[in-house]
Parts: sequence; C-alpha cells; structure tokens
Amino acid sequence: MVRSGRLSVDSSSTANHRRTPSRTVTLGRIQPQAPTYRTVYCNDREGNAPVRFKVNSISTTKYNVLTFLPKGLFEQFRRIANIYFLAISCLSMTPISPVNPITNVAPLSLVLLVSLIKEAFEDWKRFQNDMAINNSLIEVLQDQNWVPIPWRKLQVGDIVRVKQDGFFPADILFLSSTNPDGICYVETANLDGETNLKIRKALERTWDYLTPEKASEFKGEVQCEQPNNSLYTFTGNLIVQKQTLPLSPNQLLLRGCSLRNTEYIVGAVIFTGHETKVMMNAMNAPSKRSTLEKKLDKLIITIFCALVTMCLIGAIGCAIVTDRDHYYLGLHEKDWEYRNALMIAFFTFFTLVTLFSTIIPISLYVSIEMIKFIQSTQFINQDLHMYHAETNTPALARTSNLNEELGQVEYIFSDKTGTLTRNLMEFFKCSIGGTSYGTGVTEIERGIAQRNGLKVQEEQKSTGAIREKGFNFDDPRLMRGAWRNEANPDLCKEFFRCLAICHTVLPEGDESPEKVVYQAASPDEAALVTAAKNFGFFFYRRTPTMVYVRESHVEKMGKIQDVAYEILNVLEFNSTRKRQSVVCRFPDGRLVLYCKGADTVIFERLANGMDDVKKVTREHLEQFGASGLRTLCLAYKDLNPEAYESWNEKFIQAKSALRDREKKLDEAAELIEKDLILIGSTAIEDKLQEGVPSCIETLSRAGIKIWVLTGDKMETAINIAYACNLINNEMKQFIISSETDAIREAEERGDQVEIARVIKEEVKKELKKSLEEAQHYMHTVAGPKMALIIDGKCLMHALDPSLRITLLSLSLNCSSVVCCRVSPLQKAQVTSLVRKGAKKITLSIGDGANDVSMIQAAHVGVGISGMEGMQAVMASDFAIAQFRFLTDLLLVHGRWSYLRICKVVMYFFYKNLTFTLTQFWFTFRTGFSGQRFYDDWFQSLYNVVFTALPVIVLGLFEKDVSASLSKRYPELYREGIRNSFFKWRVVAIWAASAVYQSLVCYHFVTASAFGGKNSSGRVFGLWDVSTIVFTCLVIAVNLRILMMSNSITRWHYITVGGSIAAWLIFAFVYCGIMTPRDRNENVYFVIYVLMSTFYFYFTILLVPVAALLGDFIFQGVERWFSPYDYQIVQEIHRHEPESSKGDHQLEIGNELSPEEARSYAISQLPREISKHTGFAFDSPGYESFFASQLGIYAPQKAWDVARRASMRSRPKTPKKN
Amino acid sequence: MSSNTASSSAGAAGSTDSSAARRNSKRPKYSRFTQQELPACKPILTPCWVISTFLIVSVIFIPLGVISLFASQDVVEIVDRYDNDCIPVPARANKVAYIQGTGDKTCNRTLRVPKRMKQPVYVYYQLENFYQNHRRYVKSRSDSQLRSQKYENQVDACKPEDDVGGQPIVPCGLIAWSLFNDTYDLSRNNQRIAVNKKGIAWKSDREHKFGKNVFPKNFQKGNLTGGASLDPNIPLSEQEDLIVWMRTAALPTFRKLYGKIETDLEAGDTIHVTLQNFYNTYSFNGKKKLVLSTTSWLGGKNDFLGIAYLAVGGICFFLAIAFTIMYLVKPRRLGDPSYLSWNRNPGGR
Repeated sequence: MVRSGRLSVDSSSTANHRRTPSRTVTLGRIQPQAPTYRTVYCNDREGNAPVRFKVNSISTTKYNVLTFLPKGLFEQFRRIANIYFLAISCLSMTPISPVNPITNVAPLSLVLLVSLIKEAFEDWKRFQNDMAINNSLIEVLQDQNWVPIPWRKLQVGDIVRVKQDGFFPADILFLSSTNPDGICYVETANLDGETNLKIRKALERTWDYLTPEKASEFKGEVQCEQPNNSLYTFTGNLIVQKQTLPLSPNQLLLRGCSLRNTEYIVGAVIFTGHETKVMMNAMNAPSKRSTLEKKLDKLIITIFCALVTMCLIGAIGCAIVTDRDHYYLGLHEKDWEYRNALMIAFFTFFTLVTLFSTIIPISLYVSIEMIKFIQSTQFINQDLHMYHAETNTPALARTSNLNEELGQVEYIFSDKTGTLTRNLMEFFKCSIGGTSYGTGVTEIERGIAQRNGLKVQEEQKSTGAIREKGFNFDDPRLMRGAWRNEANPDLCKEFFRCLAICHTVLPEGDESPEKVVYQAASPDEAALVTAAKNFGFFFYRRTPTMVYVRESHVEKMGKIQDVAYEILNVLEFNSTRKRQSVVCRFPDGRLVLYCKGADTVIFERLANGMDDVKKVTREHLEQFGASGLRTLCLAYKDLNPEAYESWNEKFIQAKSALRDREKKLDEAAELIEKDLILIGSTAIEDKLQEGVPSCIETLSRAGIKIWVLTGDKMETAINIAYACNLINNEMKQFIISSETDAIREAEERGDQVEIARVIKEEVKKELKKSLEEAQHYMHTVAGPKMALIIDGKCLMHALDPSLRITLLSLSLNCSSVVCCRVSPLQKAQVTSLVRKGAKKITLSIGDGANDVSMIQAAHVGVGISGMEGMQAVMASDFAIAQFRFLTDLLLVHGRWSYLRICKVVMYFFYKNLTFTLTQFWFTFRTGFSGQRFYDDWFQSLYNVVFTALPVIVLGLFEKDVSASLSKRYPELYREGIRNSFFKWRVVAIWAASAVYQSLVCYHFVTASAFGGKNSSGRVFGLWDVSTIVFTCLVIAVNLRILMMSNSITRWHYITVGGSIAAWLIFAFVYCGIMTPRDRNENVYFVIYVLMSTFYFYFTILLVPVAALLGDFIFQGVERWFSPYDYQIVQEIHRHEPESSKGDHQLEIGNELSPEEARSYAISQLPREISKHTGFAFDSPGYESFFASQLGIYAPQKAWDVARRASMRSRPKTPKKN
Repeated sequence: MSSNTASSSAGAAGSTDSSAARRNSKRPKYSRFTQQELPACKPILTPCWVISTFLIVSVIFIPLGVISLFASQDVVEIVDRYDNDCIPVPARANKVAYIQGTGDKTCNRTLRVPKRMKQPVYVYYQLENFYQNHRRYVKSRSDSQLRSQKYENQVDACKPEDDVGGQPIVPCGLIAWSLFNDTYDLSRNNQRIAVNKKGIAWKSDREHKFGKNVFPKNFQKGNLTGGASLDPNIPLSEQEDLIVWMRTAALPTFRKLYGKIETDLEAGDTIHVTLQNFYNTYSFNGKKKLVLSTTSWLGGKNDFLGIAYLAVGGICFFLAIAFTIMYLVKPRRLGDPSYLSWNRNPGGR
C-alpha cells in the first residue's frame, strides 16, 4: 500500500494523462474511432453543428421521472433488511402462511414509501439546484451584440463575455480582457480551495477581440484535446488566419472559477456541460457507514439466528405434536404437507418464519434514517453554538449517516495551518539584553492559569497600544522611543536594526508606515519587520544592494532620519544552518553582521563572556517556548574591514563554485558567523484559531487523542503542539527525525537506494528503542505522558509493513502524536493506519485541498468552512467554521446522537422481541401449528403505528445531561468511546427484559382469562385474549419509553399517550365495522366485549405494571450500585434549572490584575526540565522567494492529484452578471 | 477576544434580536426545538423516588388484590371430570371404539353442592388438550357464509369440510363440524333443573356474526360425522351452542358455556347429572369436565388475578422496605463526584 501510494505521488503528473483515456472509455463517452482531438470553430454554430458537442446544461440528479421507480426501488432493495421483508411478503402470499399478506406487505410498503419520498425530495433539491445553475444568464455574442442567454443554451464555439465576479459557464478559451497585457485574475476556490488569485494570459494575437464588433470578426479554429479530468493540463492549437498558435492551460478558464479584478473578459467556449474539467472531476464522495450501523448489522444477524432457532424449535415441536388423532383438525393422507414428520417440520418452519418475521424490526432503518436526518438538518445545522458570526458560517452536516459516529471518536487527526492556527504571525514578546518585554498573555498561559483557579481578566490594551497585522505587542518600556531610558539602549538599537535589516522582505506600496505592505516569504519575517517599524525603525525600501530604514529616536528623542544600509552579503537560511545573516555597511562605514536564528546555533557561536545574559536569555527562551511562542535569537558582530575583505573573497569563490556550492557556502558562512554578541530574542505568536488550546484540552479530557499532521517543519509543528497544549515539558517526547547525522551523511553520498536503507535502519532502531522505553513507562504507575514526533521521511519508512506494527503500538501509547513534513497521501496513510490497525474511530479535520485524502480516509471527515476554498468541505462529512466547534460537534451532538441511536436501536430490538416472544409462547400452546396470536392488522400496525412515534421522539429529544454539562464534564464522552451503550451486555439486558415482559404479558393474561369473564358467565375466545395481551403490550412498551428517557418533553407525553390512544381508537373502529367481503371477522366487536368486563380494566392495570416492574427494579438497582457517569452528573446538578445556559465556569473570587495574572501564569509554567525553547522559522530561502516573486512557475503540488471538485458545491446566489 | 470556549454559547436571548437586522445572515434562527432546549422533565431515579414508587404501587395493588381475591372466593364452583368415568369399565381398553360405537352412552354423575350457589348458576363444559387454536382449525370457517345466505357458497377456507357432493355445507369448516355434542340433564331430588340455553353467547355474535336467515344445510352429511348436528329449521343466530363453540378458545384447555340454571342451589344439595357422552376426546386423550359455577362481578372463579395483584404489591412493599433499610444502613450520597469513573481510577486508561 505504501508502495503504490508512493508511486502515485511520484507519477502524479503522468498519471493524469494515462488515466484519462481509460476513464473516458469506461464511461463510454468516446467512440473507438473518435479522433483524439476535437476541432471547434469559434463563433460559428453551423460549423460546429455536425459534431454534436454536449450541451451546457448539467444534471446531477440520480433519477428522472421514468427511472425513479425502478432505480429507486433497486436502491432500496440493496438493503438486506428490505430483501428479507420482500421474501417474507412473498412467503406470506402462499398458503403456508398463517398471516394475511397484508401483515408484511403493509409495513414494507410504508417503509419503502417513506424512503422513496425522501429520495425523491433530495433528488428534487438537486434538480432545482441544477436548474438554478442551468438558467443563470451569460452574455453571448449574437449579431454583434451581447445577448444574455441561460447557461444551458450555451454551445461550444460561442463567444461569451464574463464580467467581474462572474462565474465561467463552461471551459473557455481566453481571448481578450479589459486589463492591459491581456491578463485576467481568476479565483479557483471552487476547484482547489486556494483563494489566492491566479493569473491567466490570453494569446497576444487575440487581445483585440474585446468589443462586440471586433469579436464578431473573430473566426478561429481550435484544435484541442478531448475532454478530460485533468485540471492543470491543456494542449491545443488555435488557428487564426492560417496561423497556428499553441495553447496552454494559461489560456483556459475553467468552469467553476470566477473572474476577479478584471472588468470583463471575452472568450470562446471549448468544453461544455458534463465535458468541462470540473464536471469530469466530480465524483461522489465514498459513502461512509457508521460503525454503529455495522454493529447493528451484527445485531440483526443475531436476531435472525434467534429467529431461525425459534422456528426450528417450532418446526420440530410441530412434527412431534401433530398427530392424526386430533381428528377435528381434519388431517388426511391426501394432505401432502402433512404426510410425514419431515414434511410437517419443513413447512411449519416457513410458516413460523412468516409468523415471527416481526422479530426483525422493519421500520428500524427508516426510523433511524429519519431521526438522523432531523438530527443533522435541524440540530447540527441550526446550532447557534456552532455558528461563526465573523465568517457568517453555520455548521453543516453534509451527510446524516455519521451523527452517532461523532459520539465515539477516539482519534482526531488535525491539519495545522488554517485549522489550528490562523496562519498569522504576530510579534508578541521579546527579550533584549536579559530583560523580557511584552505584556501579552498567550492562550496557553491563560489556560494554565485558569486550571489553577485564577480568573484572568481580559487584557485591557493601554489606549496607545499599536495593534496591526503581525504586531501584538505592548510594553511602555519600549514603545515610542522609551527604550532610550532602558538599562541598555545600545543593545535595543541593535535589536531593532537587526529586525529592520536582517531579512528578505520586500516593501510594497507607499513608503509610509501606515500604507506599506511587506511581501515576505514567511509571515514570521513580515511580523519581525513590522515590529521594527512599530519600534521606530521603519524599513521602507530595498534595492539589490541597499536597505533603507527610517529611524526614529536614535540620536535623540523625536528625531527621524532616513538611513541607507548597504547590504554586502546575505547568508541564507536553510534547515541545516537554522540561521540567516546579513553583512551590512552603515553610512558611517561601520561593518556589521546581523544574524538571527535558532538558539542552539546562535549560542554555539557567541563570543566568550556574557554568561549572565546568555543564562537569562535562555530562561526567557524557555518561557516563550513553553507558552507556545516561536523564538529566534538575534546576534550581531562588528566586523573589521580587512578581515571582512579576506572572508568576502572566500565567500565569492564559494558562491561561484560549480560543485557542492551549497556546502561551500555553508562552510564560508561558518567562518564569519562566530564570536557573535547576543542581542536577545524575539517571540512570535503563531496565532491560534480562537479557543484552540481549551478545545484541545477539553477533547483530551474526553479521552480523545489528537494527532497533528502537518506539512510544516518539525520545529514549527512542535511549537504549535506546545501552543495547543498537546505537548508540554512534563511529557516524554520521542522524536524520530530524518535530520540526524547518520542520515545526513548518507544523503550527502547521494545514492538513493543507500539513503532509503539508512533511513529505514535508523527509523527501525529509533522506533524499537522508543517502544521499549514507552512500554517501560506504561508499566510504571506514574509514568509521564508520552508524545511522538515524527517527520514525513521517517514516516514513509515507518509505514512500511514490517515496521507498521511497531509504529502503531508506539503511537497508541502516546497521548499526542505530531507528524510533520507529511504529504497529503501520508496523512491519509496515517489515518488509515489507526483506523484499520487499531480499529479505533477516527476523525480528520482540515481546511485545504491537501487534507482531502485524510478527510476521506477517516471514519468522520470534518472540513473547516468559511475561510479557504471548498475542497475540504466538499470531501467532508461535516463542515464547521472553527476548530473549537469540535467540542460542540463531538461532545454535545455526537454524544447525544450516539446515546439516542443506541437507545433507539435497543428499544426497537426490545419492542419487537417482546412482541414476537408473546407470539412464540403462544405457539407452544397451539401444538406448534403456527397459528397467529394477533389479528393481521394489529400485527402489521404494531411497528408502524402503535409504537412508531415515541421512539422517534426519543431519538430526537433524549438527553442525559444538558449541553453545557456535556462540555463541562468532557469525561462523559468516554462512555461513547468505550461504546458503553451498545455492547452485547446491554443487548443481553434488553433481551432479558423482553423475555420477562413477554412472559408476563402472555402468561398473566392467559392464566387469568380462563373461565367466565363477567357476571353473565360468558367466556372469552382466542381473539378476546389476544386483544387484551396486545393492549397490555402496547401500553407496556410505550410506557417503557418514558422509563428510559432522561428528559421527558411534552412530545413524549403526546406521542406515548397518542400511540396508546391510537391503538384504542383503531380498536374501536376496526372492531366496530364489518366489511361485506370475505374477511375473517375474528375481532368483530371484541374490544366492546372486553370493555364490558371489569376483568379487562383489572388486567390492563396489572400486567403493564408487573411487566415494567422488573425493568424498574433493574434500573433502580443499577443506578444505586453501579451508576453510569452521566447519572452521577445528573445527580450533582439535579437542582439546577436547565434554562441557565450561561457559562458554568469556575468562578473564583480572587481577581487579579492582568499584571499579577501574567506573572502568576508565568510562575506556573514548568521550568528547568525544559529543553524546548521554541525556535521555529519558516523561510523558503532568499533565491527561491525572489524567483517566485518574479513569477517563475512553481511545480504543481502532489496533492493536486487527489483533488476533486464538484459543481454541487457552487453557491447559488452570486451568479448574477 | 474571549478565550472561554467552554461557554461559547452565545446567550440565547441576547443573540436573537440582532438576527432580524441582518437579512443576509446565515445565522440559524433560534428556536427551542433546534437548539434542543425544549422544556423537559428530568426524572432521576433517586432512592427516594424508587422507594416511593414501590410504596405507591403496593398501596394500590394490595387492596385491589384483596378485592379481586374476595370476588374470586365468593364464587362457588363444582368441577367434575367425567371423560374416563363415563366409559363403562369393560370398554375402557378401547375408548375410541366405544365412543365411535353406536351403543347407549348415557352416564350418570352426582355432584354435591358445597356452598350455597345463588342463581344464576352457569353450566360449563371444559375440554383439555383440544387444540381449538390450531392453525388449521381456526381458519376453517367462513364468516361471510355464517352471516348471510348470500355468501352460502363461500367455502374456500373451509376445507376439508366445505361441501358434500358439490353442495356447500352451512355452516362449513372444521369448527362447526366438530361441534361439541355431549348433553347434560340436571336434576335435584328427582326434580329436573331447567338449563336455560338462551343468552349464552355474546350478543354481538348472535346479532351480527350469525345470520338470522342462515339455516344449516347439508350439515354433518359427509362421510364422517364430527360432532353435533343442527336443526336445519333454526337459524344460526339462534343456535347458541354453535355460536359459543365457534368463538374459538385461546388455549387447548378451555371452558365453554353450556347454559345457566336460574334457581339457587343450596349447600349440601345433591345434583344428578344425566349426561350423554357423545363427544370424542378419547382419540387425543382430551379430558372432559362438567362445571357448575356462580359468578361474581369479576367473572368466574379465578384466583390468579388476585394473587398476582397481591404478589406484585407484596414484592413492591418488600422492596420498598429493603431499599429503605439499605438506604439507612449504607446510603449512597447522591451526586458524589468521587463515583465518577475518571475520579475512581485517575489516569483513566
């Protein structure tokens, strides 16, 4: 699996080509002789007519009017339960059936009807959606005019005009644009989720065809590839006036994208409708079934086995008992089905199967479906707690299959950027010359303080605090030149200069502090430069050799001067060096090297002395790191001109080296980056999404393990893990990194096979060692919690089948796992490793196209909606706007859904078993003949009318504890992880209850129904007795709902009362009428006869109470002696009114000032043992950054393969041109 | 920015007003239903509730049990099994042959009245091991034929007793065919006691299910005779024996009303029964019993209901006491957080 996975990544670009033909062939879209290219005559409908291109209307519906019934029924009968009932219905048409066919046909038809109506409704919605898209208007060139026509009438070859913010109605060849240079900007969010705009450029030859007059003159011929699903390739030629111009993806505007920053464009339609690339890409999400439903299948099979057993008992019994001596039965030799014992047993068996068929709850699936549908559309989608006001996004359940799965999740796989973090770096704190600055409190600090019972006040920003993107720092000691009064103003100055000079940022826009926009390869750098700006060192211009900084307060307070620094060398950042240096010459000729980098590498290179500062700075770094900040150390060094010149020669040599340039550059850098003077350090907050740490904490208290899978570098990932509280310093961390010396050495040697072998060996060694250690800790009582950090390269080898088990057992022992530098495919592999290997329920959450495979691999996929594109959302099962909404989604909705579905299933099981068992007991007294106990209609309506609604109400309104308590006691969630409510033990208890109740109902009534039954001495017949039993059953079974409900709303009363009333009313009507046709009027007038006796009333009081008494005792005893957790929580809060939805936070009176709170919070942070100092820095390096600025084409990412885009996602509203 | 996610709940009241202003908002509308905040009663089975429920049940059930037991005790019932005794000793080796034979089957029984039996005294016959609820048997009838002359020919369900030489049997089917035909003559001090056979069937059967203009036809004319024959001149609605018989019993042991005696029987009276032992239960070892019984308002003698009421009430009472003692001796503190599983074994693995 790993192998094939790797292959598909490697060959991603070619795979598209190779896959295309096979796909089209399988879809039967291309005739064998069809040419491999298509020719489109632009602006010439007649010319295109012979080819019969597809129309532009699309249809995503499953059925049409004709196919609905057959196809819909076929879908329904793919469900095994429906097949079963169909078989039973067929059986009941034969004479061996004891029951009227109506008994089985009626419920089946009702169930099918409900399902089909639901299908039809959903398809109708899809149809309307399609219609809305097909009917949106687009301007087409007709007779030198732009005429709006609906999308569906668009044809290949038409010339269209798309206005700003409009969607492209088909795949269009880009001809001309109002922008100069024939470019336009395209947003592809619907396709791949990327919100940054893409540039498309028309061929120069076609730039002029912009006005209708001009455009109508355009007569081009396009020869291009056949429709395929590759979004990023396109080859073709445009033939204009006998000139052949090659076409590239750059000229293709894909359906589903929208036009931005361009007034309008003109283009020619190439692919339409289902042949557009986006539609060729649309595929149905793999439908997921919840684990509970799979377990339910097992339960159904068990029930089926019970059914077979019951029938066998009956059949054998019948064969033994049946005897011609019972002459009144009129058995004759000529009745072949009674010829011998074997025949009798055989036929009786099938008779009994039809009779006991009610044991399998026919309406179970449809009821569960209805419940889940309402749960997802009404509860999850409508939950105000999961509505994100800023992005105006409510939660969205895209499937209703998996509600209860949300209540059993044990592993969460989370993407980092965009999910946990906002991808927003803010300068937050710093340490200069051994003094720490910055008054902010990170969320993690706040969380720690809160756990220690402190109420941290909201930060009150001093009025003058500067707050802008990238800068969230306030300390009056530094701001507005106040640093001049600090103990070491010169060092402060160096600090700011280092920030302002040592970087690779490009300023854009106006050269004023308010308007400048920094273009940076990494947001960290932008934050640092922004910080320098706010400290009064405004970097405003860069030339290839110079950096211009507007410095304030340097000479004296209030003075502003522009200073130009000459940049002599840039020593680039890379992951081995972990530092970046700039050599610059001050206007006064001073030569300085500024360096920033990881604390480890900087500290190694410091000049001797300064031990105090080093020690204090190190402490600060540890504090920053522990509070989840990313740190960089800053240092500088004054250079002596002669020494510099000699070094510069070596450096230039290295730079021009042809072989091993990288290595030589590094070596050269080493020569000058030494004897540095430490300035201090910066701490940048990688801004987390709101509420992430507390959400993670809540989730981990709920017993959920959170794994972070990120494409980021190890340092960054670890940092975020700290910031999210996933890792802390008390944890034992196992780090398996490919950045070890052994591996690096092997890599330098460069033999691919060798590298792979070395890495594998290393990984194996590390894994074994870590696992041993982990197991050792597991056996000790108070062992530390463990965390595993592994990078993508190692992971690739660790996922090898030989090591997979080790990896799995190691990671399952760890409370958190961080995988960094992983590809989207690896994300999916890790997910399925846990899903399949550990058989645990997994949830993946992510926001981007790179998370799609992971989202689809997990049991439950959650997409972050409302910010980036739609990719993740389209692949997901649930979409929420914020990571923190997971608490609500899992702890509230998931837990409740799980609880509800469990109860519903158990209740269905119980009520059908009880009902069928009374029938079974009766069979013993009829000589196993298979005589039915109840009237046909009673039996068929039992499931679908008399006991149908209360259980649905239970499935909707049941809650053990309120939403706020669910979140306050996240541990309650563990009941779901342990699957406490759907274990065989629970099934056994319900089965016992069903046996007991059926015995009571049956025997109490039959034992007492003997003899005269009122003062007139008349006796009851079979149907009188069975009607009493049925009445008792309906009452008992309906009341049982109330007994098992933890929250009884008026709907419970209405439906329970209504069901019992419905039975009585039905009985009154049904027993009161006679039909002229042949019908066994067994129950004619029965209910009236019964109601004329006191006995009836005495029985219907006694029997349900006696039947429920057993359950009541059990519930009482269970609660008393081994209560469930939720029951205790209920008891703790039994006096609280539920309406108080306000926060039940621990409110402790000791309010602290922010300052005190902060110092307290910091004092609470773990120390000493810390090794983590929070270094993290993302920078792709100077060269590549500038290269990308110049628009050099970067290769497509590997996960483009895994993407899928669907038209269904398209928002309906914004398509007005 | 609030860090307080656990309480991210946007207060319900405060958030509703703003939604009206923003037309374009996708903000879900507040309703108690969608927010799952419907007012609900939350019963918690506290020991107090458990004990009081038990007490309430016992308080209601014990008196009801006593009442129904008394009612049952008031009923005087004489049961006499005669199937065996009514076969002459020589014929007992082959009872079936005797019963199928044509000899005189008169049999005399003597019953003693243990207690005064106030009129009406009901006469029942009781059969055992007779599967009147057998699947073949139950369905072997034609309700429409019984009801109306029009449907005389609807005999499909009645096989094998559906027709005789193409002529439909009325009433058809096994049930009617096997009609019970023992007869009882009761006398006290050589004075015949009249047995009223009117009004022994349920009124609804008499008036609606059995037609007034349906007369027996071809009945018991087949090659085999099952049970009693019917007077073809009396409409079915007045053949109450048949009507009673055709309300098939639920269990293989059943009683059917034979008639009622409208005089009081005094304690110590000796009642002579002259019975015609026609009905064949010997083939399948069925028992036959003659029952004389009075009724109370609750019906015939049946202690089960009273005992069941008393038992349930008693169990509840006992449990109430047991739980109370348990509650006093070793109380479980309600809502004690130390019971929570994650507090019991820290670490929670």
